[in-house]
Amino acid sequence: MHKQLIMSRKSDYITVGKDTQRKDGVAKVTGFEKFASDLSLPGMLHMRLLKSSFPHAKVLKVHTEDAEKLGAYTLIPDEVPDVKFCPRLVSTPEATYKDWRILSKKSLYVGEPIAAVAADTEEEAQLAIEALKVDYEQLPAYFDAEESRKPGATQLHDAIELKGTIINPERNIACTLDLQEGDVDAAWKECDEVVERTYRTNRRYHVQLETKSVLVKPEIDGGISVWSTTQTIHNTRLLLHEIFGLPMGKIRVYKVPLGSSFGSSIQVNTIVPIAVAMALKTRKPVKLTMTREEDIRDHVSYNMIFKIKLGAKKDGTLVVGHLDAILDLGSHQIQAYSLLGCMAGWWVSLYRLKAKSYKSVGVYTNKTPSCAFRGYGNPQVSWMVETIMDELAEKIGVDPLDFRLKNYIGEGEIFWGQGPTVKSVIRSCGVEEMLKRGAKIVDWYNRPKAGSQTGRYRKGLGMGRGFHTSSAGAPVPGTVVDFSGAIIKLNEDGTIDYITALMDHGGGTLEAHAKIIAEELCLPLDNVNVISADTSTTVYDVCTHASRGIYSGGGAALKVAKQVKEKLRTFAARMLDAEASALSFRVDHDRKQGVIYAEGIKGREVTFKEIAYNARHKNWGTVAAVDSYRQPACPPHFTSYFIEVTVDTWTGKVKLDRVVAGADVGTVINPKLAAGQIHGGFAQGWSMAVMEDMSYNPKTGDLVNSGNLTDYKIPYPRDMPDLEDFEVFFVETIEPTGPFGAKGIGEGALNPVAGTVANAIQNALGIRFYELPLSKERILRAVMEKEGQ
Amino acid sequence: MKITINVNGKQQRFNVEPHTLLLSLIRDEMNLTGSKYGCGIGECGACTVLLDGDAVLACMMLAVDADGHSVDTVEGLSDGDKLHPIQQAYLDEGAVQCGFCTPGFIMSTKALLDKNPNPNEAEIREYLNGNICRCTGYVNIVKAVQSAAVKMRG
Amino acid sequence: MDINKHNTHILHRFEYHAPVTVKEAVKLLKELGSEATILAGGTDVIVKMKDGSLRPRHVVNIKQIPGLSGVKETPEGLWIGTLTKISELENSRVIKEKLSVLYEAVRVIGSVQVRNLATVGGNICNASPAADSAIAFLALDAVAQITGPDGDRKVPFSEFFTGPGRTVLKDGELLTGITVPREVNSWKGHWARVARASMDIATISLAATAKMEGRVVKEIRLAWGTVAPTPMRTENVEDYLRGKKLEQSIIEEAASLAASSIKPRDSGRSTGPYKRKVAKGFIREALTRFAEA
Repeated sequence: MHKQLIMSRKSDYITVGKDTQRKDGVAKVTGFEKFASDLSLPGMLHMRLLKSSFPHAKVLKVHTEDAEKLGAYTLIPDEVPDVKFCPRLVSTPEATYKDWRILSKKSLYVGEPIAAVAADTEEEAQLAIEALKVDYEQLPAYFDAEESRKPGATQLHDAIELKGTIINPERNIACTLDLQEGDVDAAWKECDEVVERTYRTNRRYHVQLETKSVLVKPEIDGGISVWSTTQTIHNTRLLLHEIFGLPMGKIRVYKVPLGSSFGSSIQVNTIVPIAVAMALKTRKPVKLTMTREEDIRDHVSYNMIFKIKLGAKKDGTLVVGHLDAILDLGSHQIQAYSLLGCMAGWWVSLYRLKAKSYKSVGVYTNKTPSCAFRGYGNPQVSWMVETIMDELAEKIGVDPLDFRLKNYIGEGEIFWGQGPTVKSVIRSCGVEEMLKRGAKIVDWYNRPKAGSQTGRYRKGLGMGRGFHTSSAGAPVPGTVVDFSGAIIKLNEDGTIDYITALMDHGGGTLEAHAKIIAEELCLPLDNVNVISADTSTTVYDVCTHASRGIYSGGGAALKVAKQVKEKLRTFAARMLDAEASALSFRVDHDRKQGVIYAEGIKGREVTFKEIAYNARHKNWGTVAAVDSYRQPACPPHFTSYFIEVTVDTWTGKVKLDRVVAGADVGTVINPKLAAGQIHGGFAQGWSMAVMEDMSYNPKTGDLVNSGNLTDYKIPYPRDMPDLEDFEVFFVETIEPTGPFGAKGIGEGALNPVAGTVANAIQNALGIRFYELPLSKERILRAVMEKEGQ
Repeated sequence: MKITINVNGKQQRFNVEPHTLLLSLIRDEMNLTGSKYGCGIGECGACTVLLDGDAVLACMMLAVDADGHSVDTVEGLSDGDKLHPIQQAYLDEGAVQCGFCTPGFIMSTKALLDKNPNPNEAEIREYLNGNICRCTGYVNIVKAVQSAAVKMRG
Repeated sequence: MDINKHNTHILHRFEYHAPVTVKEAVKLLKELGSEATILAGGTDVIVKMKDGSLRPRHVVNIKQIPGLSGVKETPEGLWIGTLTKISELENSRVIKEKLSVLYEAVRVIGSVQVRNLATVGGNICNASPAADSAIAFLALDAVAQITGPDGDRKVPFSEFFTGPGRTVLKDGELLTGITVPREVNSWKGHWARVARASMDIATISLAATAKMEGRVVKEIRLAWGTVAPTPMRTENVEDYLRGKKLEQSIIEEAASLAASSIKPRDSGRSTGPYKRKVAKGFIREALTRFAEA
């Protein structure tokens, strides 16, 4: 018997809350779904990149003669637009730091593209790359944020552009952010217990299964068509317009299914502007799919060094905290400045702090540029907080779960959401029920006493909780753009076309939108067609990130569905000779139609198909609406984990015995897919805690794993617990601002996991760790030290 | 080199260079893009196809080594409009998220269930341990395999 | 490594040969010498060809040669053909029953898909110090059968590996099979391994076999992976244990002796101390198991 989806509330909806066969499902299971890497065009050239072999070097000259002799086209820095840009356009200009070029004349990390070739086959392109010769002048390189900030260190960038001004990043400091709230000094005096610790996170690679790909076709009118691995077609178009100056109507970016992303395509990928430049030069379609080893060097998560001090009273009330954060962002900025603000927001939104102070700095190093990775700093912050909360609870002498229950920020309270300029009040919160229920299932209060076990195998039980914002919505505009748009129109057969620019990475967000529309219009779900679209045929959607797909995107779909509903009502009233306001909607599964009827009057009804028929033949027009929507809030969705592990003190191996996961995502729209987000987020969190590490060889500047996936392990099927040992339950609250009460889920699923794992290991061994990953070697070394071996 | 391969039940003739990988033949020559490139070195299983019924990695094989053999890809599983029980099970259990790993998993599942129609959970996880999924955490995938096994046993 | 040569999408062109007899293969390999690479299952060779470290001008595909595959009982012992797929070993009842340590070693190689492609000969001749089957064969007193331009010869596994990635095979020579002597069939076996998760974490494996009389060790072999440049035996520990009754103190002494006898690289990442600690645990595990009825 599987203990799976136990819903707290029953759903009375037609399709919301019901499991359905996803609309893109058949294509995916039959192999017919075409991802960007599957596309090809006649006459297409294969492009390959020349990548820097050095972590910091001037590219004095690229000799292309030998490559050209082989018949290949070449592309060097002098041939591309001489502009600086930021590949991510989610922030407003005052928060968008531009330090990228299409092809670099000074490489700042091993693997940075400095030139490109294109040929008829990949084999020829590869030989052409090997025929290129580069004159480099090597420069000092830094792989550690403390090293690159030292006085006298060589500056990696000389001029960053920020909204028309030039910034000189001295000491390799890319950006800083300091915040304070409340009377911090007075608050420290109130504390009975204080804990101060330093935490170092790991650097993780997304291992999104589809490597970055792009196909560009130059059009006869001087424009381009683009298919790429992107989380935002509109920002892709905007950026290409900014860089190449082509009129926007001539840049067409198509939606293509994405083989997952986890944040690595929020920014336009490095390969896209290069491919556009090559296509414009050669006047032929150009395709590039990154090899895995190129992809591994292309993007990575941020890593941080946190110094945190937290104080509480002996009655278990948390009082005050100070956080010093050093953000190692690698060699180029994608969204570092925004992240500094978000990190503060994640920290202070977990538990109530009467006063808090925060100092943060983003630092350049000669490593792969960091980008968002599911949670955008929240997994790292939550790991730190959930670990130190356990430690502080121990010091005070209160149970860690009770400590959480006493201090978590919940319903009715203000939370910072996506940083200090975005504050809103929490209006739905299932944290207490979630924690208490999970605690009961695992018999929390009877768990082993930390450090009391001996022998080879030691069992531990740990807990952790977290949240993430659903979107970056807010009542007032801030530095993060967040709105979606939708087009909904009625077809002559009574079905609905839903057209949105919003991308689905696979989690099922578009499935949810279809259900929201079907629910609002009272249609069978099959009558809602989710249309594949492009930048010409959609209105703006900022990006699928920040767990905003359902909450914001679905919110826009709902808004427009309501507008279409009113138009349908008006036409129906005309046809039924009735008061529009007295008409109701219902779904007719037999006729497979939406029906509008006059309540209580038999026979006075009309189907959507009949409305469409009249609208066309009587020249009333198409029933359609297009609009945009910004959510006035970014309500937190909450998760909790209770994890049991067994540590083998002879090898340092940690075995996962049991997981009990709880989630409050408001109304659950796609039950099995929502559970799937929890399962997947958990696996990534487990992996973050015990397996993943992208470390650098300071002698070569290259990754220790040399780009080999063999040496960057993530969980395989055998690494996850058995079905009966992985339980997921939802506490269904109703979020008043969410479509049918829904919130997001994607990032909350991951955020608290690493901290929970660390707490479980601490319970098993009586040892706390302050550096990720908790690898076998690290654990074994700590056990040996503790036991005096 | 002239070779003959039985692809998804149909004899096909090709003229390939010896250094052509089987995955390239399938994707580029035959336009069967269901089998994916995920890593190129046999770590991820996204290119899993069946060679004479055995699960293998097309990115690690020369096309010429498939000469005289049968190769089954995900495109050959459904019967017209009718999905194979494994495909239907993956859909029903919510085991498909981004879908990139799905063809590889489905082929590994077919190899498993053809050889062992009643696998227990440990056997399922063991058999699928050459396929990576970064989205699902494998829970719904295991459930899909169990559900498919029941359906296929009739 | 040159990152611009690393391309896992494709292979570069080569001259292709597919001999159909051992004689033909040997002749070809002798002629081509260092310009040729043998292709069996491909799971090691193809990876190297894609990362730019191996660009052979000639590839000799030996999979068309009949008679080099299978598991057979012979007067000398159990014979395993070089082209036997790892999956065939895994599914062989006689291997599972008689050579359990080999069974345990091969079933952890790669994945089902890799085991359906990889051959035992390839696993051995790739000569990684981590080669799972090689470590098991070392603990089973196996003998490698080689055919070359100068005829046939036999080399015990204890002499087969000369360095990381290097074996005693000369130009033109081909490993045709492995024989595991009859005597070890009835011995007890134990396999243990800690797998890699990232470059920081060491792989270490142990294949242990023993002929026991109650709790007394009559014969024992301890073969290790990734603790030296090649698969190695800790013969001093074997000598210590021979004839002794396995009691707690003896097991502990053997464990400590093993830890100090293996030769892992003590690099800056301190994998040495980790491996030594794990090695102790492995020995304890193996000997405790052998001491049981």
